[in-house]
Amino acid sequence: MNPTEKPEEKITPAVLNASKKVLCIEDEPFIGELYTRALSKEGYEVKLEIDGAKGLELAQTDQFDIILLDLMVPNVTGIEILRALRDPQKTPHLKAKIIITTNLEQREDIKEDIEKQADGYIVKAELTPKQLVEFLNNIP
Amino acid sequence: MANKSDYFVRTKRQYLLSLFLMMLASNFVLIAIWITIKNKLSLSTGEYTEILGMVAVVISIALALVLTNHLISPIKALWRLIIGITPNSSMPAPNIDKLKVGHELVANLTAQVIQLSSAVGKEVKGNEKDSNIDHNFIANNLPLPMFILDSGQNIIFANSHAGEYIGINSSDLTGKNFYMVMDMSFPSDNTLDSWMKKVKKDSATATMSWERVKMRVLDNHPTLLFDLAAYYNKDNPQDFESVIVLFDHTKQYSQDEQAISFIALSVHELRTPLTLLRGYIEALEEVLADNPNAELKDFMQKMSATAQQLTVFVNNILNVARVDNDQLELQLREESWEDIITSAVNNISLRAKVRGINIETEIEPNLPSVGVDRLSIYEVINNLIDNAIKYSGNSKTIKVKAHMSKEGLIETTVQDFGVGISQNIMPNLFTKFYRDHKNRAQIGGNGLGLYLCKAIITAHGGNIWVRSKTGEGSEFSFTVRPYAQLAAELKNSDNKEIVRGAHGWIKNHSLYRR
Repeated sequence: MNPTEKPEEKITPAVLNASKKVLCIEDEPFIGELYTRALSKEGYEVKLEIDGAKGLELAQTDQFDIILLDLMVPNVTGIEILRALRDPQKTPHLKAKIIITTNLEQREDIKEDIEKQADGYIVKAELTPKQLVEFLNNIP
Repeated sequence: MANKSDYFVRTKRQYLLSLFLMMLASNFVLIAIWITIKNKLSLSTGEYTEILGMVAVVISIALALVLTNHLISPIKALWRLIIGITPNSSMPAPNIDKLKVGHELVANLTAQVIQLSSAVGKEVKGNEKDSNIDHNFIANNLPLPMFILDSGQNIIFANSHAGEYIGINSSDLTGKNFYMVMDMSFPSDNTLDSWMKKVKKDSATATMSWERVKMRVLDNHPTLLFDLAAYYNKDNPQDFESVIVLFDHTKQYSQDEQAISFIALSVHELRTPLTLLRGYIEALEEVLADNPNAELKDFMQKMSATAQQLTVFVNNILNVARVDNDQLELQLREESWEDIITSAVNNISLRAKVRGINIETEIEPNLPSVGVDRLSIYEVINNLIDNAIKYSGNSKTIKVKAHMSKEGLIETTVQDFGVGISQNIMPNLFTKFYRDHKNRAQIGGNGLGLYLCKAIITAHGGNIWVRSKTGEGSEFSFTVRPYAQLAAELKNSDNKEIVRGAHGWIKNHSLYRR
């Protein structure tokens, strides 16, 4: 793709997202609250999970369209969750797009690894909840 | 051989000359004797004169031959001796006992020569013994990882420490391409690879060392940090073209990385409340969207702008720490410059707006695409516009202009019409923690922004500079390279993108890599 051509920005109506399920694994409850609010407004169905281990279990047993994954979550870390979800033996039928949401700066090489395995990588402080929803709307 | 025959010719000539002189001398003696006898005896020798003369000549020749042979024989003996001790000589040693003249002299000289030659022989033999010491023994007892490469950059030899250091059996390293095994990153454009290419072209031998070379070995293994020394020798007959030695400093250098981890953790702690502030401000704006109170709206926007500014500052802290520790990595990709400027300006417009400032953009149409790291360039533009806002004074306009420079670079200028910068501080403007002291009381800032801008632009291969006049405003300009220029570099490497660091830090791209 010629990068000078900007992809057309489509405003996705809430109706289109109505059937889309989001799992938000995030241990900071206020951030969870803000994300749930912004996503619900755009029609997404949001499941919020504070605990890493429970989050992984949910991701493996239930089907989601998008998983927002914080890297610093209790019990099982975000990186461990990411690895488990990308392991076809542990998670045979994963359909969800995995978006890493973090405020922690990683060492460049670790970050590269994470980015390779995930479908998106977001620094939470860089985006307001609305901007995050816009980002998710534009995921193919 | 030519010397030897030459020597013979000359000795022959000398031999004949001395023979002739001897003959002359003995003739005189004989004539003198003959005249004395003739006078004393008053003989009339008319009929015998011719016979006697001939007899005299024959005697003188015989005498001269005997004398010359005797006189020359010691020199001849010495000559034979010296020729005889040179290696591979078939000349038999002279028999000194047969010498009748100069026996003592020759005997002494012979003893000296034999002594000297045996001393030299010992030395030669001694060296041979040293060179027989097992090279592997030395190399493996050298407590440093060491590699010997051939002219194709393949490993001919790696000592056991080299294998241990990078976690591969050293015998498995032999024959492998050095750059395939060692994925190193250097702190500047002067990489081992670039140096090697240079010396191959114009040197017979060369040495060079590097500090703070990074190498990632395995997953879950700490990155190795070391100094590296290389020796290059073009004409080594065994094709031992270069020797590479590593000096591990992982421990020392990684302390700097720990300092980064501390900053990264602090930044994380700052970012979480920031995320919340920005999130709740946004939510509040939505809730109050229909509220007609203009003051409320104004306050909300100012809060939002302030939170944004804090986000930039937090990123500056992190990135300055990275710059200082050679850890800022840039991924240069093809981008539309107009697109980047427009979105950066949009991003910051709220901060300008709450101060009543309007940002005007003037972008030359049809600029070629650029090779930049998008996020870092956003930070540069953000910092420059932030500065322009801070130092705008009563002026309400900021201009952002971009055009193609004469040198074929894309030049961008952020211009304000505010307080300006006094001449005496201009040279230090891009230094860390530097600020205009006169303005410090009124204007916030941390002296990190311009330092970071310079580091990022330098890493992009561009330049940054300032023009300013007190009371009239300032113009900060910087250049970035068109993507086409980078594409040429990309062609020569296997990477799909160029990775650069703040001090021009670059991956050890290699043409040898497949």
